[in-house]
Amino acid sequence: MTTGADTCFHCALPVPAACKLTVDIEGAQQPVCCPGCKAVAELIRDTGMSRYYDLRDAPDPGIGRPPDEAAEWSVFDSSDMLEAFTQRDGDMREATIYVGGMYCSACSWLIETTLGKQPGISSAEVNPITHRLRLRFPGEDAKLSSHLATLANLGYQPQPLSPESTTRPEVTEQRTALKRLLVASLGMMQVMMFAVGLYAMDFQGIDADMQHFLRLVSFFVTTPVVFYAARPFFTSAWRGVVGRKPGMDLPVSIAVGSAYVASIYSTFTRGEAVWFDSVTMFVFFLTLGRFLEMRARHRSIDRSAALSSLLPNTATRIDGDAHVVVPVNQLCAGDRVLIRAGDPIPADGVLGSGVTSVDESLLTGEARPQLKATGDELSAGCVNLDGLIEMTVTHTGSDTTLGTISRLSERARYARPAFVTLADRIASYIVIALLIVAAAVATFWYFADPDRAFVITLSVLVVTCPCALALATPAAFAAAGSRLSQLRLLVTNGNAIESLSRATLAMFDKTGTLTIGEPRIAAVFVIDNAFTEKDCRLVAAALEHASTHPLARAFAMQEALPAVSSPNIVVGQGVSGKIDGREWRIGNAEFVGGGVAAHDSKTTHVFLGVEGNAIAWFDLEDELRPDAKQTLNALRQLGLKTSLVSGDNMVAVLSVAEALDFGDAHFECTPEDKLSIIEAAQQAGETVVMIGDGINDAPVLAGADTSVAPAHGALLAQTSADVIMLGESLAPLTTAIEMSRKTMRIVRQNLVWAIVYNTLALPLAAAGFVPPWLAAIGMSASSLVVVLNALRLNRFE
Amino acid sequence: MSILYVLIPLALLLLGFAVWAFFWAVGSGQFDDLDTPAVRIIMDDDSKPDENDQP
Repeated sequence: MTTGADTCFHCALPVPAACKLTVDIEGAQQPVCCPGCKAVAELIRDTGMSRYYDLRDAPDPGIGRPPDEAAEWSVFDSSDMLEAFTQRDGDMREATIYVGGMYCSACSWLIETTLGKQPGISSAEVNPITHRLRLRFPGEDAKLSSHLATLANLGYQPQPLSPESTTRPEVTEQRTALKRLLVASLGMMQVMMFAVGLYAMDFQGIDADMQHFLRLVSFFVTTPVVFYAARPFFTSAWRGVVGRKPGMDLPVSIAVGSAYVASIYSTFTRGEAVWFDSVTMFVFFLTLGRFLEMRARHRSIDRSAALSSLLPNTATRIDGDAHVVVPVNQLCAGDRVLIRAGDPIPADGVLGSGVTSVDESLLTGEARPQLKATGDELSAGCVNLDGLIEMTVTHTGSDTTLGTISRLSERARYARPAFVTLADRIASYIVIALLIVAAAVATFWYFADPDRAFVITLSVLVVTCPCALALATPAAFAAAGSRLSQLRLLVTNGNAIESLSRATLAMFDKTGTLTIGEPRIAAVFVIDNAFTEKDCRLVAAALEHASTHPLARAFAMQEALPAVSSPNIVVGQGVSGKIDGREWRIGNAEFVGGGVAAHDSKTTHVFLGVEGNAIAWFDLEDELRPDAKQTLNALRQLGLKTSLVSGDNMVAVLSVAEALDFGDAHFECTPEDKLSIIEAAQQAGETVVMIGDGINDAPVLAGADTSVAPAHGALLAQTSADVIMLGESLAPLTTAIEMSRKTMRIVRQNLVWAIVYNTLALPLAAAGFVPPWLAAIGMSASSLVVVLNALRLNRFE
Repeated sequence: MSILYVLIPLALLLLGFAVWAFFWAVGSGQFDDLDTPAVRIIMDDDSKPDENDQP
């Protein structure tokens, strides 16, 4: 893999001009952006893993870059922690670790091979889809910390998960579905084999005892297929009957059940025909379709990991005079905890002493830090920005605001009226019609020619088996889902493709979606002409270097900075410090002092002053994504209306709206406002696709017809979004819409084909022109056409 | 043809064993990850031989 000369070979971030670091990979000197990346690249090279750089996909800038500060891992070696984060399995212990910062399967190769070579690890397996590492190591002298440190040294962010959060309902669901699929497929194969024997005997004459034996055996094999593999269809059909909303599962159940019962009757009364083969084949195709759908549904980043990765692993609890590091899941209401500057808050609580500012952008979308005084409430997941604080815990885990919001958005998602597909509706009518027709055909032939009545009815049932209809939609959706994931779009909701294809209005959140979410300096206004713009930037960078404030990052410079003595951070005000014996201040107008003209504009201003006189101010703004304009124009060409909703202030929102030609822009919206804007649009007949990130958007995302979240946003928003865009670009959105339209076109083609086939085949079979074996071939061929048509989606560019 | 009366039950016995083995494998978590194994095979460790090995 080659990267440009000015981007880091390891993490793809731009290399600062002042940085001359390089790393020798397979004889070539490659540039790196920082000593951390150099160390990681050398570690990868020295352990013989250089092939990682050939295997990986193009990296997103910044991924894999090691954290600036080494985390404290040794706390994970205490027996309490081992008990909390690992499971005992004989002599071995097993830990499940969520690995942040993975972006492709080469990462899983790197992790598995590196950890596998370490002494004291018996196995390391990574699932690149769920980003989970399963680590087995001997229980004696276990050093979880060293393994976590290895992961961190490779540039990942390991996050041990407690065992209860690793047994997920998805796993149980998939296991059951796999067992059902296997029973259905093996049963089908066996019964088809016996059926071939029975059909052959129809032509060649049959030994009555052998026929009876084959039928008995078929009955024996079909029974578990009906009662085990097809059970979900029966339960769902029953639920439909009770709820007076019969779905496709009802006719399916009637077809399966009546064919099964009739076959048993026929078997024991030595009747004309049995339909065990049709029953098993039908159940198998349906189970396969459901299985493929389920797999697509599970391809989402799971919620428990998302929630726990927003919270720290450990908290420092105050026990009397001692400070004890405990796993965050052992915190209780009433505990007092210490939180260092820059650390996330482990639980909901009340600030015990002092003043601090907190980054609540995760909960409120508000980028500016919030001032908190003694007695104010702090929310889990927010980041403490200034100084060491003491907090009394009030709520923990899923009782926290963060937990509640994630639960609410989950409920909103499930409460959405279940989407009944066109295929399901048509197929249920068709199946009911088929059953009636089959009964009519049987009655007719019973009077016309009783000898042929059963064979003809069998042909009718087999030839018109709505397998093609049942497969038409799931096959296309599964193919679309896998193609979209190759295009770095993850579809987490089966309905998303359908609703996306109908979308008429694209609603965008601003911060972090249309913009990068990192402020930068838009303009510098120098008041005092004794200073140049360059001087001001240098001094500002030097002062802000001491600050952890989110806006401080905007000032960072890669040049030699003047030395600041005795820097002092004043919470909510700014930073002061001495340079060359003079007192400099940076912050708000009041803090910097004297001679500052009042500004009515609402963009973010930061002032710089010396000895009480302001000498310059900086306008800060959030940069637009480079491909935002292009993507929006592409969407408009596809016939979508676009609109902007943001919690940000008027000036910031309108300037973005102008730059991107938004006719419709809403500002200073709370999540409730956003939701009501969406609902109003839906009432006006629009189908809304909402593109946004941030946990405060989660209920909003769930309210839209389709929700799309960029993967770099707060992890929780991803879990409530129907479609997740991996990577930094907005362009995949256009692809998703085009792809969904194409998918629905193919679904319609499939449905038309299946209906045409059935309407042609049915009269022929009913008239007695189609022998059972030809009926079976016809049915399989029609299903094959549908699947092959769906697979065309895999070639979508 | 009467051999079928023996062979078919025998086949069903084997089938039952296969189903039991698969259920056990699913239950022990061997099929929990259906994505990685397909990729893992093509990422075998085929690094170049050490330069020391060359004459």
